[in-house]
Amino acid sequence: MRLVPLAISLLALVGASMPSFAEWKVLVADEGVNVAGKYIVATPKAGWNSSSARPSDYGERWTRDGLALNELTFFAAIPDGGTLYHASDGTNQTLPKFRSTMQPTEIVELFENSNRILLNSSVFSVEAIEPAKLGAHDGVRFAYSYAAQDEGLTRKGEGVAAIVEGKLYLVNFIAPEIHYFDRDIDEVRQLFATLQLRSPKTSKSR
Amino acid sequence: MKHFIHAFALATCALASSASLAAQPLELLPTSAGYQPKDEIEKGLWLEMDEAEQQMRASKFLIEDSELNAYVKGVLCRAVGTDKCGAARIYLMRTPQFNAAMAPNGMMLVWSGLLLRARNEAELAAVLGHEFVHFEQQHSLKSFHDIKAKSNAMTWLGFVPGGMLAQIGLMGSVFRFNREMEKQADMAALDYLSASGYDPTAPSKIWEQLLGEMEVQAKANKSGVVAQEASDFFSSHPNTRDRMEYLRAAAQRKAPSSDDGAGRYRAAIARWWPRLIDDQVKLNDFATTEFLLEGLARGDWTADLLYARGELYRTRGRDSDLQMAEGLYRQSLAKDPALAASTRNLGMLLLRQGKSAEGRKLLRRYLDIYPAASDRLLIESLAREPQK
Repeated sequence: MRLVPLAISLLALVGASMPSFAEWKVLVADEGVNVAGKYIVATPKAGWNSSSARPSDYGERWTRDGLALNELTFFAAIPDGGTLYHASDGTNQTLPKFRSTMQPTEIVELFENSNRILLNSSVFSVEAIEPAKLGAHDGVRFAYSYAAQDEGLTRKGEGVAAIVEGKLYLVNFIAPEIHYFDRDIDEVRQLFATLQLRSPKTSKSR
Repeated sequence: MKHFIHAFALATCALASSASLAAQPLELLPTSAGYQPKDEIEKGLWLEMDEAEQQMRASKFLIEDSELNAYVKGVLCRAVGTDKCGAARIYLMRTPQFNAAMAPNGMMLVWSGLLLRARNEAELAAVLGHEFVHFEQQHSLKSFHDIKAKSNAMTWLGFVPGGMLAQIGLMGSVFRFNREMEKQADMAALDYLSASGYDPTAPSKIWEQLLGEMEVQAKANKSGVVAQEASDFFSSHPNTRDRMEYLRAAAQRKAPSSDDGAGRYRAAIARWWPRLIDDQVKLNDFATTEFLLEGLARGDWTADLLYARGELYRTRGRDSDLQMAEGLYRQSLAKDPALAASTRNLGMLLLRQGKSAEGRKLLRRYLDIYPAASDRLLIESLAREPQK
């Protein structure tokens, strides 16, 4: 049967598919820090931790209280043809690919469909989508909710994405609908609003 | 994920009181009102399943639409009789694969992928009836006496990882029916279907559809993963082609009926159809979805089906796919000019292809057709003519 893939995939988004040797680093509050291959500079408030286990070559993951309770992901400079996540269980070939000609609504679809596939969940609904800035760039903000298999829990999420010089930048926050999302969302919006993007062309190395 | 959950495979585990039950014809069957589990093993299983059913009631995957639930229950009741159908409690699950399962306490799970694939009421009745027969004929009691199954069952009772869906999956592997049992369930379900006046060819038709889907998926999956799953499926079930053929032959011996309830079925699932097809398209499983859409259309491409096919091509997103999608959206709009989804996504596609003037015009039209759109602000910004 497919019990094992199910158990792994349902936790992929909340990070339980990470290897057991993942290390956590406490982030210094109110200080700019390079994220996701140095292409994003973020300035967190107190209490955030960064994981050495990445959702893909282009991404980085933070949490405050544990990934099941709050998760921030940053993706930077995903090239044309790339996928949002790197899934180790063979589902990579079915993950949708980013195309640099995609419209803002299609970026949100890319995010939704990637997560539906990894979570093995059709209970995923994008509830709002509007224009927004990411760094200095025009982009899209989206809010959504979803359930993973068998959790009995609704999670909410909010993200901002933009295509810059043909590459995809996307930042995203997820937390349980009960208590945790509302507790941190204002702070997270502030964090997103103060992000600085760097182009790979002007950065030396990842 | 190239899941093709085994249709019908995770079937009934109706545990009855004892192996000697068959010799006591006056004993109540599990499908009779007032039936209670008899021995300790059966009581234990019912207890476990009742607990699982409690969890199921709180599941975020449950489709709680009371009209749709009443319709599906009504189809089961017409098929197997109103005197018996009360023993089953149906739970519709928002899960896009094709599956149905039944637990020994009368809990029946129907996945939404079945609702998408069935083309009429008779096909739905065929699947529901099949599951019900496993339950009624106590097939799993016989399976349970298999020593291997028993050790697996103990694992299941002791430790259930992954929650309800995993549990149901494990149930399927514990109470695996042999080919004879599957054939019995097929034939008895056909008797039910025919006695209740449904088109008796429906079961062979839904198996034909399933066989086609499995073949398409196996061909599309270059890694062979699906082929392996398919062979697991074949090892415990009658060969799908055989099954389709013996059901087809048996249907010819039944009184013909043209009542397949296609119109009733379409009306009953109409409100859910956009979500069901959306769930399927978003699996990013191009070959299977293309096959399904062709099966649903059977040459009669409605505006909704053309839109869904446009979505499929656009989502895959190769250059030739985008051209194909554009054509499909245009055909969809030719059939129904007020279809908001086609209007919006053709507009977005034209922007993507650099045909901006027409794209913006369509996006404005979309907002006219659908003023309450939740993406209004974004679409307005994209539809705005550039400043000169």
